Amino acid sequence: MSRTRLAFPQPAGIGFGAWYLLAVAFLFAPIATSVIYSFNVGSLGKQTSLFTGWTLHWYAMAWRDLTLRRAVETSVVASFWSALLATLLGSALGFTMVRHPVRRVRLLLSGLTYLLLIVPETVTGVSLLLFYAVTRVPLSLATLIAGITPLAIAVTALIVRAGVLTLDRRYEEASADLGANRWQTLRFVILPHLAPAVGAGALMAYVFSFDNLVVSTFLTTPRVNTLPVYLFGSLQYGPAPTVYAAAAAIMFFTLALIGLAALLYRLAARRDLQARYQ
Amino acid sequence: MRGVTPTARTSAHQRIAVPTSDALLAGIPAAWLFVFFVAPLAFTVFFSFGHSTFGGIAPGFTFDNYRAALSGFYAQSFLRTLRFAFAGSALCLLAAFPTAYFIARHAGRWRAAALALVLVPYFTSFLIRVMSWQILLARGSAVEMLLNFLCLHSGPLDVLDTQTAVFIGIVYAYLPIAIVPLYVVLARIPPTLVEASRDLGASPWQTFLFLMLPLARPGVATAALLTAVPMLGELVVPTLLGGDKGVLIGRAISSQYIESQNYALGSAMAVLVMIAVGVVVALLARLTRGFMEVAP
Amino acid sequence: MTRSMSRQKSRHFSRRSVLGLLGAGIAGTALAGLPRRAAAAGGQLNIYSWPDYFSTDDLAAYTAKSGVTPAITTYNANEILFAKLNSPAGAGFDIVVPSSGWISQLAGKNLLQPLDHSRIDFGALDPSLLNRDYDPGNKYSIPKDWGVLGVVYDPDAVGGEIKTWQDFFDAGAKPGASGKIRLTKAPSETVGPALWISGKDWNKATVADIQGTRDFLTGFAKHVKTFSSFDPQALASGAIVLAQANQAAARGALLQNPKLKWVVPGPKSEIWVDSYAIPSSAQNLDQAYDFLNFFLSADIQVKETEYLGYPAAIAGLKGKLSADTKLPDMIFGGSGVDFNALTSYIVNPDTVAAYQDVQNAVQAAAGG
Repeated sequence: MSRTRLAFPQPAGIGFGAWYLLAVAFLFAPIATSVIYSFNVGSLGKQTSLFTGWTLHWYAMAWRDLTLRRAVETSVVASFWSALLATLLGSALGFTMVRHPVRRVRLLLSGLTYLLLIVPETVTGVSLLLFYAVTRVPLSLATLIAGITPLAIAVTALIVRAGVLTLDRRYEEASADLGANRWQTLRFVILPHLAPAVGAGALMAYVFSFDNLVVSTFLTTPRVNTLPVYLFGSLQYGPAPTVYAAAAAIMFFTLALIGLAALLYRLAARRDLQARYQ
Repeated sequence: MRGVTPTARTSAHQRIAVPTSDALLAGIPAAWLFVFFVAPLAFTVFFSFGHSTFGGIAPGFTFDNYRAALSGFYAQSFLRTLRFAFAGSALCLLAAFPTAYFIARHAGRWRAAALALVLVPYFTSFLIRVMSWQILLARGSAVEMLLNFLCLHSGPLDVLDTQTAVFIGIVYAYLPIAIVPLYVVLARIPPTLVEASRDLGASPWQTFLFLMLPLARPGVATAALLTAVPMLGELVVPTLLGGDKGVLIGRAISSQYIESQNYALGSAMAVLVMIAVGVVVALLARLTRGFMEVAP
Repeated sequence: MTRSMSRQKSRHFSRRSVLGLLGAGIAGTALAGLPRRAAAAGGQLNIYSWPDYFSTDDLAAYTAKSGVTPAITTYNANEILFAKLNSPAGAGFDIVVPSSGWISQLAGKNLLQPLDHSRIDFGALDPSLLNRDYDPGNKYSIPKDWGVLGVVYDPDAVGGEIKTWQDFFDAGAKPGASGKIRLTKAPSETVGPALWISGKDWNKATVADIQGTRDFLTGFAKHVKTFSSFDPQALASGAIVLAQANQAAARGALLQNPKLKWVVPGPKSEIWVDSYAIPSSAQNLDQAYDFLNFFLSADIQVKETEYLGYPAAIAGLKGKLSADTKLPDMIFGGSGVDFNALTSYIVNPDTVAAYQDVQNAVQAAAGG
């Protein structure tokens, strides 16, 4: 019985598996490289493409470099807030793009989302800078976050939308028939089905916000600088392995956090399951 | 029976009861985007008709900027970028589809972990990863040694600062963005449908081509949109991996704003690009019925 | 559903509680990361500069001495600096580090304030770097470090020596070098050499002069491989055999491949001077001058030179470098550099667009 659940028989499954592993290797190659080269001695204090020797020096330097640390902190905080906003607003947008009863509204929302993708980032950045100049709003962390959310919202919206399109309308109708109002239907019927899409959208929103370069360049202030802006500027005179060390440290820290959270979640889920059947 | 919930096919003449939940869910994001995105953008359109002062705009009304923007060099730049985005997007989708397929349908219990593994690299700064590609594609790198060892290539690796390197970088950058919507859509295809198809005598390929692929269409369309359109504005990868050659339209617009301090011309170019891309996306939406498929 | 829900509520360790804990933890960290309002003991100092442009040790020494921790934000192009200062959003910087070319533009728009010479000790600085054409009398700027535009090349691949910019262009067209050339992406440094060959001055060139170099340069462009930031490795491995570069970057290449040669071609070349300047809207002037005096002191300038690889402006720097500095001559642009033949580019709004157009055309025409 389980054999026919797959469209392709086992050998093809192995082929797909091999492709998957190749893709993972492709995706991880630069990560591994960046981690290895964070230990590179380099030459004259700059990074080199040939490995010249092992050292932990750059990790110590990264910790002591306050400019870099500040930039990393700001990036993490701004990305968190941006991802939170983008998940909430983007999921709502993604859902109503498909399910809003009025066709004109759906078209408008879709158009807005596509516009977010179409506009080049430099244009957004400059127009935001000029906008705040004219409206006399001082730049701050808040304006930076507000500046990077639109693109994250678009990404989340489109991912959630893809999920909503595979949702069977009859579940919603059945729920309504059984007497639930719209909010209850949303909460107990639709949201659980959309959970993977929303989760994926949230992750993508965080990642997009963290890596935002162009808009951030225009919105930095004396006390607000982000890691990508720092990195791109370091290309002028050549980056030191310090930034590689910082990036590696952030990555391990973030992954450890996520791993811990996933582990706790799993344990809790197991407990819930036990509780349910006792 | 389709009864209680108002359907989308109600005619425009009837008053539609819009539930408050839907109104709020649509209204709040729209309001946010209007303030922080559309309003500033309106400035851009306004500036495109002005006169450029160095680093500023003198308000006025002129089409000079549009005339300059439509000139040969920028038009060529735009066409070049279109070709580039189309090729890059196609490559990306080709790489992403089998990967998403594997995660959605062959990973079983490990589905979440398999997807997570693909997304993990994205928790490192993108720029660092592209800079690492510079190291990987340089002469004398580990990649060169590997390729020589596998007899896939002989001699020094001269890929850096070429179009090939840019495509490698682009596919690398946009792969997860393509994988996620494909996965979401492929994962939701009920196994019972596949079973039914096999039971009715369809071969694996027939099941794939006539059942799964059409059902995956919203995901494919979304993935294509999410890759091709941002590629049109791509700045970083062609600069770092491509030797900064072959000025793409994103770079051209950026150089007007930043290096030339000509906000008026940059705005005009941006407006033209937005119109052109908007038209293409709208046509595509028409063709695929709003990138939508009615759910089974 | 109701039974298990009540079970969930009574459980301490459930999925809900984990999610709640997680959310609270992340929110807490995020809130903790928000900018603090409390100022440090000695006050604040906001600097806008290139990344990694001050040695970490020297910054720590400054903080230890004065109690002020400078907050450094970074930009990746002088034009960004200009755009920021030009907009009301650019308020709040106390020290900025523009390149020499932009100082007259920034000063012209009243974005910089005249420096109070009584508060800074100019005595230790090299007089040949002071009072130059881009800022007469150093009204607005103090030199931080400087560089020259030159050419680093592999004499075997190029088939001879390079002494002038004409040699450079000729060498690039030869089969040994074609397709392995690096040009800079700064328009002045691309168009400049073409102007100098025909005896023109890049600060006095008209738009017509600049556009006149277009055909020559786009013809040369097909030999060019990259405009990316200079990579010493590429030169060391032979992927690039002819490159425009500044002397500190070239020094890195020469260290890795001693076969390479460096020259500052005639008849003219560029000297740029990254300088300290104080924006008009600066708030923390006391801290700013304190910082400048600290970083302009002799021993700090020596340390900065050794950290950055770019020479600071102090007089007699050559003699003060530590004995184990590698290729010390290269830090100063090599031996035999004629400083009278060096000129600084000054940004002129009337010609900037013309320069950039030629640069875009060259980059678009560059070989695959």
